Amino acid sequence: MSPVNKRRARRPLALAATATALALAVTACGGGGSESEDGVVELRYSWWGSDDRHSTLQQVIDIFEAQNPDIRIVADYTDWGSYWDKLATSTAADDAPDIMMQEERYLREYGDRGALADLSQLEGLDLSKIDPLVAESGDLDGATYGIASGVNAYTILADPEAFEAAGVEMPDDTSWTWEDYIELSAEITEASGGDIVGTQSMAYNEQGFQIFARQHGERLYNEDGSLGFSEETLTAWFEMTQELLDNGGQPEASQSVEIEAGGPDQSVLATGTGAMAHFWTNQLGGLTESSGSEIELLRYPGESTAERTGMFFKPAMFYSVSAGSEHPEEAARFVDFMLNSTDAAELILSDLGLPANVDVRGSILSSLPPADERSAVFLSEVEDDIVDGNPPPPIGAGQVVEITKRVTDSMAFGDLTPEEAAQQWISEVETAIGAQ
Amino acid sequence: MSALLQRGTRPAAAPPAPAGRGRRAPTGGTGRRKRENLAAYGFLAPWFVGLALITAGPLLASLYFSFTDYNLIGDYDFVGLANYERMFEDERLHSSLRVTFVYVFVSVPLQLALALALAMVLDRGVRGLALYRSVYYLPSLLGGSVAVAILWRQVFGAEGLVNQVLAVFGIQGEGWVSHPDYALSTLIVLNVWTFGAPMVIFLAGLRQIPAMYYEAAAVDGAGPLHRFWHITVPMLTPIIFFNLVLQIINAFQTFTQAFIVSGGTGGPSDSTLFYTLYLYQRGFGAFDMGYASAMAWLLLMIIGGFTAVNFLASKFWVFYGD
Repeated sequence: MSPVNKRRARRPLALAATATALALAVTACGGGGSESEDGVVELRYSWWGSDDRHSTLQQVIDIFEAQNPDIRIVADYTDWGSYWDKLATSTAADDAPDIMMQEERYLREYGDRGALADLSQLEGLDLSKIDPLVAESGDLDGATYGIASGVNAYTILADPEAFEAAGVEMPDDTSWTWEDYIELSAEITEASGGDIVGTQSMAYNEQGFQIFARQHGERLYNEDGSLGFSEETLTAWFEMTQELLDNGGQPEASQSVEIEAGGPDQSVLATGTGAMAHFWTNQLGGLTESSGSEIELLRYPGESTAERTGMFFKPAMFYSVSAGSEHPEEAARFVDFMLNSTDAAELILSDLGLPANVDVRGSILSSLPPADERSAVFLSEVEDDIVDGNPPPPIGAGQVVEITKRVTDSMAFGDLTPEEAAQQWISEVETAIGAQ
Repeated sequence: MSALLQRGTRPAAAPPAPAGRGRRAPTGGTGRRKRENLAAYGFLAPWFVGLALITAGPLLASLYFSFTDYNLIGDYDFVGLANYERMFEDERLHSSLRVTFVYVFVSVPLQLALALALAMVLDRGVRGLALYRSVYYLPSLLGGSVAVAILWRQVFGAEGLVNQVLAVFGIQGEGWVSHPDYALSTLIVLNVWTFGAPMVIFLAGLRQIPAMYYEAAAVDGAGPLHRFWHITVPMLTPIIFFNLVLQIINAFQTFTQAFIVSGGTGGPSDSTLFYTLYLYQRGFGAFDMGYASAMAWLLLMIIGGFTAVNFLASKFWVFYGD
């Protein structure tokens, strides 16, 4: 190529380079910012969950849009882990979704910091049929930052086939005590020659302790967000796990680490390697499917013998509306539809908890798959025994999950005694929730 | 014989660069250079824009946030050095530093030693060199990925492949990723396994050592060990130095492997709580973004410090030849 030709060739090259740079810069700025067109209001709705949930909720959205042609809902979904990263960053960037699913451990985090709208101030949202046990669960300082989508209870799931294989009888859950639970677990491990472990460790989830504390007339968190139990109660809770580690009633430490890391799909029930595990009632369906046997729900031990009952209804998730939403009234209409429409409930069934609207709950009972129907029946059986609900956990409660896992690991590996574990848990959680 | 000849070839023999010709051009020289520069800047622009918007902006913002109690969602206040002061009392921060230092100081030397050893084997002119080079390089491409971390968790699990192989020999294996005594070692092995990138660089370095040095040493009766210590190592010090600096910087920033293998917890018992993982937990788990920003700057200072020390020390051991 001669120098002259070269020179001519350079000019388009420089142009092309500049054009590319410009194009990149323009596309970088061209994200988001879609406004209403032809009077149609566009709302973004965020949730977390599995693929099943995504396709179900998309169908629900389609029905809503057909009934409300003036509103268009943009679905924005991800898995649980990235959901909170995404929500936090988009909220920080003033680009929060108009409607979002919330969870009780994060509700204060957002509500107290002014990121959520007060739903009680919005028109078009009928809350008259919400189950009284969870109706106020999203209230903070006189404002309603979230409405429960449904209810769950934390309890023990048991595999009758595992009991049978070990040759041990299922307990009577209306009268069993904590001693019964510990002895029974050891008995199953022993009778099966170690093939079937009695119970999966209960100490990895603070919800079990929440029930235990309530049985002692205490609670995990007070209304003001401080810790509401004594160190002795928590020590006693960890001692039971220590006892189960010593008598073989639960898997040893490093096995537990793997089981916990694997989630419900790796639980002893799903893999057929254990007889009991602690779960939320809405997980029964999934576990029944992965285990292939008719998993049963048992009330927590000590419910009939303790000072009072400890089991409680948890708001499964919350519907919340962003404080920065430009169309709060339309968002409220969508939340109202999600809560009160049987059309929506017929599709969602118990995926977002057993519906919080008691009328809707009754109307979908017959449509539920067998496992979910059993959870529904179980919930209605224990409902009468439930004394009260829990106040929303304090800011920082999201970290308690991780602290609980770590402290439990340290105790299981023998680095902490139950008493030290209780002290460390309390001191770390107090730091996390700023109660110190 | 052909391998020996190859060794002698040096890139200095390359034809004069086109830029040189441009400079000698009698007319329109400056104008063309201007246009060439313009084209160059045009092509570089996306990266400059990226650097300014995506790197420099957040970098400066994080410096600012490190002096505030920024929590991502609500308002924040200026808190001076409070975040940095908190670091002195944060035991988990100390333990994450311990974990990270052990990881850096064990895995980097091991990885470089393995990379050099294999580079030397391949440098002997193995048949199918290109294939081996690619095969060994593969882990470097995959090592930091989520998929491999998940695979690693399975392979080293209590019921994983490693223990199944051990069981054949009658050995009862541990839960390699689920026991606090072994979890970090498993991650170190994962990092050592990604030796391909430094290996390829070593291989290129080995090819640059003139064969005549070896021939002369052999004539004088130097054994393989002598030749390694007195020719290969000194001639290779610039490459060793380069790899060392790069791998230390990389190792300090390790995140994905620990995040995936421990399910984001850094467990069991914080045994794999890498510095970056703890930073992530503070920032996105605890909404403690001010503190996390301060942690990021501490990490920058640590890495900067190590790199500076490396460069200072290099004066005493790196030999640039000629």
